[in-house]
Amino acid sequence: MIQGIVIEGLVFGIMALGVFITFRVLDFADLTVDGSFPLGSAVMAMLLTAGVNPFFAMVAAFAAGGVAGAVTAVIHSKLKIPGLLAGILTMTMLHSVNLRIMGNRANVSLLRVDTLFRSISDYASSFMPGEYGILLFLALFTLIVLVATNLFFHTDFGITVGALGSNQQMITSQGMNPEVIKLLGVSLSNGLVGVSGALAAMYQGFADVNAGTGTVVAGLASVMIGEFLLRSNKIELLTLRVILGSILYRAIMFSGRQYGYLINLTANDLKLITGVLIIGCLVISKYGNGRLFSRKGKKA
Amino acid sequence: MIRKIISGLVLSLVACALLTAGGAGDTTDDGTTRIGISKIVAHPALDAVEKGVQDELAARGITAVYDLQNANGDVNTATQIATKFKRDKVDVIVAIATPMAVSAANSVRDIPVVFSVVTDPVSAGLVPNLSKGEGNVTGLSDKTDIYAHLELFKRIAGIKTLGHIFTSSEANSAAALAELEDACKKLSIELVVQSINNSSEVKQATEAIIRRVDGIYLTTDNTVYSALPALVEVALSQKKPVFSSDPTSAIEGGCVIASGFDYYKAGRATGVMVADILGGKNPDSMPTKFLTDPSEQNLLLDLDAAKICGITLPADLVKSANQVIENGKLTTR
Repeated sequence: MIQGIVIEGLVFGIMALGVFITFRVLDFADLTVDGSFPLGSAVMAMLLTAGVNPFFAMVAAFAAGGVAGAVTAVIHSKLKIPGLLAGILTMTMLHSVNLRIMGNRANVSLLRVDTLFRSISDYASSFMPGEYGILLFLALFTLIVLVATNLFFHTDFGITVGALGSNQQMITSQGMNPEVIKLLGVSLSNGLVGVSGALAAMYQGFADVNAGTGTVVAGLASVMIGEFLLRSNKIELLTLRVILGSILYRAIMFSGRQYGYLINLTANDLKLITGVLIIGCLVISKYGNGRLFSRKGKKA
Repeated sequence: MIRKIISGLVLSLVACALLTAGGAGDTTDDGTTRIGISKIVAHPALDAVEKGVQDELAARGITAVYDLQNANGDVNTATQIATKFKRDKVDVIVAIATPMAVSAANSVRDIPVVFSVVTDPVSAGLVPNLSKGEGNVTGLSDKTDIYAHLELFKRIAGIKTLGHIFTSSEANSAAALAELEDACKKLSIELVVQSINNSSEVKQATEAIIRRVDGIYLTTDNTVYSALPALVEVALSQKKPVFSSDPTSAIEGGCVIASGFDYYKAGRATGVMVADILGGKNPDSMPTKFLTDPSEQNLLLDLDAAKICGITLPADLVKSANQVIENGKLTTR
């Protein structure tokens, strides 16, 4: 169970990292994620079925997600459509695109295809439980993604992306084009989401056109839970806590499923349990700021 | 500071809970039969399958502890549920609908997985072919058996030329057409096809072919069913029988035979497979089950329409029907 939680936490953590870049760094509420996640799954599933190397397929999933993000950014900046609506539009259009990619099937099974995860699991099972092999691979993979993201945000351009989210006026007055920066930021974010979708397809053994439902909510919840775990403004900790938040989010879901019956809750109540537990986390995180300890009327 | 203490506490609590859970999982094998049922979403049809499985096992005197899981429409939790079943060491996993079945087959190798209402288990990669299971996986398909329908229709109404009306833009109708053509070839029936685009064309399409055919067969086509009364009127005026695959829309009368999928009965049939596995049968040797026998389906017969068409329905068929229209009255049994 623990390995299940950490594996899912890492798989969806990369998606949460993408959500973190748009919502927190760029301050851009991007709902493309609900479409680019299954897009990554679809690209991975079809390429794997065609016998393409899984790592190359991962790069393709990154590129596909990036293009989806770029479409949102262009709709937003060139057509002057609000960011929220631009994301919803791209997400809606992606549903048809994803069906098209999967050959007009709603669900593409990878049971008869050699996914990367299955080879790792088979290889590892000679000396340890196969799941640990997947876990180690994902931990390493996530580490590489984290280091790359951190390095990116240390470059001049990365710092500019961060500055854009805080103060767009400043970027414009520095003679830089905020539209280009936003486009690259949103693309990068959705590229990561695409990679996460690709990993999820290999982990679950299928790509499903409806897999995007609720992705952005899960990502945001992970980001916020991460903020409750660690407080910092260093980019290394900011990105790390997103992954930790994602793992804790999956732990909350798992434990809801595992122990919900103790208080007579059925599987139908799970969304409620998850929501309440997350609200609990967020409230506790406010406790820590001392806000709930200070009475109204007094200075905080 | 307080924040750190609280967050530390919460984290360690979660960790403790999960660690003890990991330990407890190994001691659940205490002789009781445990069955995990997962479905993709709460939906009347899928709920009926879930209930059917439990009723069938209860009817066979098997008392089991059920773990009813539901992905709440979020396919990303499918593997989570499969992992839970694996950890709890249930005796049999019943996976309802394709995503649940594929993720269970993907992550569980040592517990029997019985899939239910998966339309095409071969292309989903669950089984290599329909005549056997694979390893720990077998199950039931909800595909309508067009061949069995046509065989029955031919036997009762002596069909030589068959009329078929379908909507070209409905994916399931287009897919069913290929199968229908195949079945007709096998039964040496000549097929006359009319395709329509919307429900207002149904009447016209029926009039165009009704004189040339001995009867009309309808697959599950939503657009055609919305204009069923018009179709039936034209057919009966020429004393030609209609065979429908949807008993629900046929209760208004007019279709001589309506035979279709019943999700509760599919659940019962899945329960039979589960019972067989609990009794020691190996999933590897169990073929994919289809509901072909009329008694496993919903069968509606309209004796009035049969009389108009000059068809006498065999007594055993009338006996096995669960809905019969006679003298304008619908009796359900």
